[in-house]
Amino acid sequence: MILDLHTHSTLSDDSRASVEQYIKWITVLRRKGYNIDGFVLTEHRQFNFDIDYTEISKNNNVTILKGAELDTNSGHFLVYGITKKIAKHIKFNDVNMNANQLIDLCLNNGAIAIPAHPGRFGIGFTEYVNEDNFKSINIVEHLNGSYRPGEQDRTEKLISDKGYLGIGGSDAHMVSAIGTCLTKFDDVINTEEELVQALIRKKFKPIKLEDTK
Amino acid sequence: MSTEEEIKYDKSLLNKESYIGEFNITKEMIDSFCKSTEETNPLFTNEEHGGIIAPPTLCNIFMSKVTRPDIKIEFGDGTFFAGQALDNINPIKPGDKLTVNTRLKEVFAKTGRSGKMVFEVWETKFANQDGLITTLVRESFVHRKRS
Repeated sequence: MILDLHTHSTLSDDSRASVEQYIKWITVLRRKGYNIDGFVLTEHRQFNFDIDYTEISKNNNVTILKGAELDTNSGHFLVYGITKKIAKHIKFNDVNMNANQLIDLCLNNGAIAIPAHPGRFGIGFTEYVNEDNFKSINIVEHLNGSYRPGEQDRTEKLISDKGYLGIGGSDAHMVSAIGTCLTKFDDVINTEEELVQALIRKKFKPIKLEDTK
Repeated sequence: MSTEEEIKYDKSLLNKESYIGEFNITKEMIDSFCKSTEETNPLFTNEEHGGIIAPPTLCNIFMSKVTRPDIKIEFGDGTFFAGQALDNINPIKPGDKLTVNTRLKEVFAKTGRSGKMVFEVWETKFANQDGLITTLVRESFVHRKRS
């Protein structure tokens, strides 16, 4: 199963791409021979329990799941498996939330927090990780579609130094960016819970769009 | 789980609408706008197409009239214009009288490559003589620390 684990729709302040437009673009990519099963919406600093993509997902044969991208005191984190119980403990608009507390909260409640674009200057995990901290982190976003020159190299070094596993996500804010970086799972994933389990089982790898043909 | 430092600004301004004015739309105004932007789409230029409507960005000619109070934000030492988005909801036609109001829509923080930024977002509403909203214009201003 191939999913884009990092996308933003118009719910995020800096994206103008709608979910419907992403679906259309995936349909076009499929017609061109690329293989994408779906995507995870990781809106900035929010998680909306009221929005249900089940119907649109089923009607278009595109898996659509929900996560979040949160700003922390150690860079941005992708969070998958958010429940109402977890959300009660998160102040989503806090751009300085404690990353360690977020990681622990997720670990203890069936969710997972993964450093997003770790090589990004200013807000990448590489700037905050050292020998002694973040011992429970073992997955980072390896491939990110919005990197600038130098940032992928920083990510490669981090992964090489720490032995992290990696996921892939486009970080799409525009329609045509979806699917540029993806994650290939051994498992079939239909729910956020299954996504978290697949990540915990470590049976995945980051890939680029061209690798899906 | 919160370490949030509250963004300090004049919160009494949040969602408070300020009246900007009324503007009459004429065919000459639309023609002139199309000419200056080299717009040739018959929807905006050819009356035989069922009557012309205004190009989606026409409201921009009135945006210079929009004044906003200082929200007295206590963050950073520099501000810049961070962009504009227009939602065209109902068409604007010659003969319309547009009433314009503006409000502070939201203030929020985010972090990017250059560090923490605070966004001040204003929404200006254009409504026609029938009370129908024709256009919503959102403009963002970013406050940040220079160093």
